[in-house]
Amino acid sequence: MSSSTSSDIVVRARNLGKAYQLYARRNDWLKQVMFGWWKSFFKPFWVLRDIDLEIHRGESIGILGRNGCGKSTLLQVICGMTLPSHGELRVTGRIAPVLALGSTFDLELSGRENVMIGGAVLGLKRSEVIRKFASISEFAGIGDYMDQPVKHYSMGMRTRLAFSICAHVEAEILVVDEALAVGDAAFQRKCLDWIDSFRKTGTLLFVSHSMAEVRRLCTRAIWIEEGRIREQGDPSTVIRNYHRALLVEKDDIHRFSASE
Amino acid sequence: MPSVNVVNGKQIVVESIGPSQRLVRFVAKPFVQMWHHQDLIAAILRREMSERFKGSVAGWVWAVVAPLLAIAVYTFAFTTNLQLPLANSSMGPKIGYALFIFSGIVVFNFWSEMAFRAPMLLHEYTHFIKQTIFPSDMLAVISTLRATAYTLISVVVMLLFQLAATGALPWTVVLIPLIFIPFMAFLIGMSWFLSAIGAFTRDAGYLMINIVPLFMFATPVFYPHAALPAPFNFWIYANALTGYVEVMRDIVLTGVVPDMRVYAWTLVTSVFTFYFGYWFFDRYRNVIVDVI
Repeated sequence: MSSSTSSDIVVRARNLGKAYQLYARRNDWLKQVMFGWWKSFFKPFWVLRDIDLEIHRGESIGILGRNGCGKSTLLQVICGMTLPSHGELRVTGRIAPVLALGSTFDLELSGRENVMIGGAVLGLKRSEVIRKFASISEFAGIGDYMDQPVKHYSMGMRTRLAFSICAHVEAEILVVDEALAVGDAAFQRKCLDWIDSFRKTGTLLFVSHSMAEVRRLCTRAIWIEEGRIREQGDPSTVIRNYHRALLVEKDDIHRFSASE
Repeated sequence: MPSVNVVNGKQIVVESIGPSQRLVRFVAKPFVQMWHHQDLIAAILRREMSERFKGSVAGWVWAVVAPLLAIAVYTFAFTTNLQLPLANSSMGPKIGYALFIFSGIVVFNFWSEMAFRAPMLLHEYTHFIKQTIFPSDMLAVISTLRATAYTLISVVVMLLFQLAATGALPWTVVLIPLIFIPFMAFLIGMSWFLSAIGAFTRDAGYLMINIVPLFMFATPVFYPHAALPAPFNFWIYANALTGYVEVMRDIVLTGVVPDMRVYAWTLVTSVFTFYFGYWFFDRYRNVIVDVI
């Protein structure tokens, strides 16, 4: 820790790398568990390499990149859901991992029940969820559907509810792995307004394929390619270069192959 | 302020503590976690309980009807001239043997429900484990609590049946919590172990499907262990379930204070399984997220 350790840095990553273990045969993991001290039975598949990153309080960071470039893994590592294979990581502050909250909904349960469970999973006390319920329900604006099973919701309604839960977690760092501002224009504006006010106190990290969203919300954009940071900085510059690269470079069919 | 510190793939705990403090922390950790996540446990337990009878009109009535039916069937089934154990009990041989079997089955079913479910437990909650920071170790606790609720219904039905048949209950039934709580700890520990294995391979599930029926006969459910030939008489305790079945029978059916050696053995298996399970789960927790 030689450089300045300002209290403003909420995430600091150095030389971060993450490898998944790819097994050629189904039972190789068993050999790995038993004889891992002798030799390894897997090919490492590096999803993240040499990530150096400092994120300051109040920043809003958009992460760009093609499918499978390691965006989501980076968010998972920062959240502490999965450990990096090497490197250093330091995260300060209450982190709310809302990586695709809508996908944790139980379709058989009502919106209300999902709010209770979703809130509990994000670390809210039952009393807190009950206290905030009216506000959550008002923000989502789905009316009587709140007591219907989520399977009857439209995609837009599901996202409204998901976003509304996120908006009430009171996290210091919000990590989102899905389009933030979806839904009709009115709801989008509500989301964007909320994010603007959140950024006064908190830090936002999100993955998006919507360039408009990144341009509108971010103070910094990070472009990840093949597990490395290819470019970061001013959102409009990064977006322009990223777009150009997408047009020039073809979709590489070997992108998901394991490295030797 | 909560923070994550990771260096070279290892979570770093900043303070250094002595071995005695580390032991205290290890012993306390599962309970600290349960206390910390109590609202989450309650929320998911509530959903699991309502899930079981979802779509049925009678709902919870089934939870009461099932054990009632079982007792009735056992009572009628053993009306033949078998050489029945407990033949000279005050309840008469038929009802006595029916309750004898039922008390064994209550304990056995509690165990088998957990043994069947545990290997698949983490797969049921993949979306939580992968998409949020989720205390996956609490799933074993939640599923055991759910099974406990159904087992308690069976126990109450059994006690009511016994009360109706004999007009009295032995005073020792107040000791039921003393065997139930260690048994729950045993099952939670077993679920930690099996669910961690099950996350890596589905074989654990298939193994349990084959093993559980065998245990029904390897455990003294249908016979008292004293009926076995002498060498097995001792070895049957190697099956940890035997102790729980016997203690349960002693306090519910026979109305005697259980053999303290047997009770001590159940406590040993309970504490060992609980902490071994937690240690094992904790050790592989970070790998589980990646393989599931």
